[in-house]
Amino acid sequence: MKRSFAVVTDSTSDLPGEWSEKYGIEIVPLKVLFGKETFRDGVDMTSDEFFTRLAASSSLPTTSAPSPGEFADVYRRLAKDHDGCISIHIGGRLSATAEAARVGAEAVKGFKVNVIDSQSVSMPIAFLCRVAAECASLEEATAAVERRVPKCRVLALLDTLRYLEMGGRLSRAQAMIGTMLDVKPLLLVAENAEIKPVERVRTRSRAILRMVEFFRSEQPIEHVAVMHAQAPDEAGEIAAQLRRELPDFEIPVGQIGCVLGTHTGPKALGLVYLKK
Amino acid sequence: MVATGKATGVDGQLFKRSLLGSLNWLAANHEEVNRLNVFPVPDGDTGTNMLLTLQSAVEDVKESNAAEVSKIAKLASHGSLMGARGNSGVILSQIFRGFARAVEGKSSLTPAELAAAFEEAANAAYRAVNKPTEGTILTVAREAGRAAATAASSPDATVPRVIAAAAAGARSAVLKTPSQLQILRDAGVVDAGGFGLQLILEGMLKTVEESEPALAALNETRRPLSPASQVSLALPEGGWGYCTEFLIEGNNLDTDLIRGQIESLGNSVLVVGEPELVKVHVHTDDPTSVINLAGGYGKLLKLSVGDMSTQHRRILETEGGADTRPPRPNGAGIVAVVAGRGLVDIFRSLGVDAIIEGGQTMNPSTQDMLTAIESVPYDEVILLPNNGNVIAAAKQVVGLTKKKLHVIETHSVPQGVSAVVSFRPDRSGEENVRAMKAEAERVQTIEVTHAVRDTRSNGVRVKKGDVIGLINDRLEIAGDDYSEVVNKALGKLGPDSYELVTVYRGEQASDDELKRLESAIRSSYPGLEVEVQHGGQQHYPFILSVE
Repeated sequence: MKRSFAVVTDSTSDLPGEWSEKYGIEIVPLKVLFGKETFRDGVDMTSDEFFTRLAASSSLPTTSAPSPGEFADVYRRLAKDHDGCISIHIGGRLSATAEAARVGAEAVKGFKVNVIDSQSVSMPIAFLCRVAAECASLEEATAAVERRVPKCRVLALLDTLRYLEMGGRLSRAQAMIGTMLDVKPLLLVAENAEIKPVERVRTRSRAILRMVEFFRSEQPIEHVAVMHAQAPDEAGEIAAQLRRELPDFEIPVGQIGCVLGTHTGPKALGLVYLKK
Repeated sequence: MVATGKATGVDGQLFKRSLLGSLNWLAANHEEVNRLNVFPVPDGDTGTNMLLTLQSAVEDVKESNAAEVSKIAKLASHGSLMGARGNSGVILSQIFRGFARAVEGKSSLTPAELAAAFEEAANAAYRAVNKPTEGTILTVAREAGRAAATAASSPDATVPRVIAAAAAGARSAVLKTPSQLQILRDAGVVDAGGFGLQLILEGMLKTVEESEPALAALNETRRPLSPASQVSLALPEGGWGYCTEFLIEGNNLDTDLIRGQIESLGNSVLVVGEPELVKVHVHTDDPTSVINLAGGYGKLLKLSVGDMSTQHRRILETEGGADTRPPRPNGAGIVAVVAGRGLVDIFRSLGVDAIIEGGQTMNPSTQDMLTAIESVPYDEVILLPNNGNVIAAAKQVVGLTKKKLHVIETHSVPQGVSAVVSFRPDRSGEENVRAMKAEAERVQTIEVTHAVRDTRSNGVRVKKGDVIGLINDRLEIAGDDYSEVVNKALGKLGPDSYELVTVYRGEQASDDELKRLESAIRSSYPGLEVEVQHGGQQHYPFILSVE
């Protein structure tokens, strides 16, 4: 490998498997717990397996961040053939992962780890990792990534707020969703990983329309992907539509992982992008 | 000053007594006006609305000793506007407004001036309506004015003759309304609002015709002309004690029974409403006894006891969370007119700042809406009438408040819900209004109720008691049961273009009926998602939103 520094992320980045191989990006898994059973996100359990299990489970799973020790092990291993590392993670507001990475990095003496709080979640982190991987030096990569952190956006349409609410990430009041009617929230994760309600809609097709309209108003952008939880057809249609409007973009479609899925629930759709 | 009915001119006090006469005559007959409701949905409250509007006009003039007719007319105009309820109430308030404008600066009216004022009153009413329809109160007002003008041109014209001509003109115009309006012809009735105006003119005539002191004449007219009269109004000359008003919330409330008991404790007794919510208004020397008595029937709301010189009207609620919410970045508040406990909760949970209880049969007054709008801590307010019968009164509020008021003309509960759902606090008031209007227009409304009489409307033949389905306010389907009517209505809308049906269950619908309706929709239209909510509304066992 020509690059002298390593690139590390965690499983909430939804980094496509082929990117991991092609760019040499290390993924540290978070964990999802069904009762006493623990699964490493994307390692012991795929997202398809997760959603199947979620549908059958009577109680909701919980999630946990990797431990500092697990990060330290990864950094120690990477230290053997790299002279530094950039470690890009889910927003500190949403998860303890970045903090665990920082503590783990301190335990590995003599190996420089730049831990980046992406202030975001899902594929924007993967885009940041790819930007870093294409840089020549750790300093250059760190600067390029830090410059893009405030540009990360996740526009998410949840079929229900139940999962996010159970996970304590957002209340119905914060989402401006009443307690009576089934209202679908369109949420935006912007700077500082703040979850903001963008719009309330009653039907899914309206919600998708509004999501795409909002995305259009966010141009210009640098990268965009369509994410879903057990909704590949709708995600594919959105991507196909966007590819017609933005022919210069590749627009990958991906399924979110087990840990994010715990908080979004099934049928979630997301337009994730980096603003220019 | 002219003290008796043998008037040569109409001064302030004669006009005041005429209004009292109108009020009594309308009070005695307003149930008949209610029964003339044209559409086979039970919103027969035209008479009540006109009565409450006229009563509000009288409340404002009764304390005045002004000798000038212009002053009394101005007070009546203001009072009727503040108390305007329902479409006919609003039009009536415009009639008073036109009359007041015409008599501006005059202390007494000659027969010719009176006739001109009647004509101008009708013109003002026409101007106030977007699309004037002939065969309604507007036509009756115009014909009354014309007849008055003809009578006034005669050399021996007198005030009683001019008023008599106006009343006769109104009567013959009312009889012609079915020939002008298909809907009346189909239902076999005359126009309710027009008939209400006829009664008002006849009440005036009774006042001026009497040579007896006016108040004696009034007591005469209110005797048992209409035993069905829902309202009893006595109008003593002062010393009314405390004006006491409140709402009783309870179950199976019997307005007749409550009225009977309250009548023994005071006068100007007004007891109206529904089995669930009754409005009580009484002038009494002993408010404590009234409150104790009413408290036995249910929960008392919006209680107000005060001296007679201040206005006492239904206070509007702003309770429930409005104050605990953080202020919105766009500085815009939302006020909605809603009836039914479940629907009130739904609107509140969606972020509405103040709710005015009312709707199909309890049309809130302009004043009710104004109070609610003023109570909201925002200078810009979006008002959702949520009922076709409330829109006219809602639009009147625009000229009465200093706040920037937007009325989104929501005709139904589903339209109101759609509008509120699309509200965004980060978007300016104007942008919100645009988006909310667009969303309200996108949703389809199905209302299910029972026909209150045999009729034919929109090509649909309906027998009394039939289940009828209205799609976006138009009668489209009649049938034997709710499921059948709803399924036909959904079929008419074309279910392939929609994905979600929300069923708002009314107070009258049973669990069993709800279950049957739900499974009927699911089995006939498996592609539609069905959501059921408790609406708690009266009169409509089911309201459905289709989107």
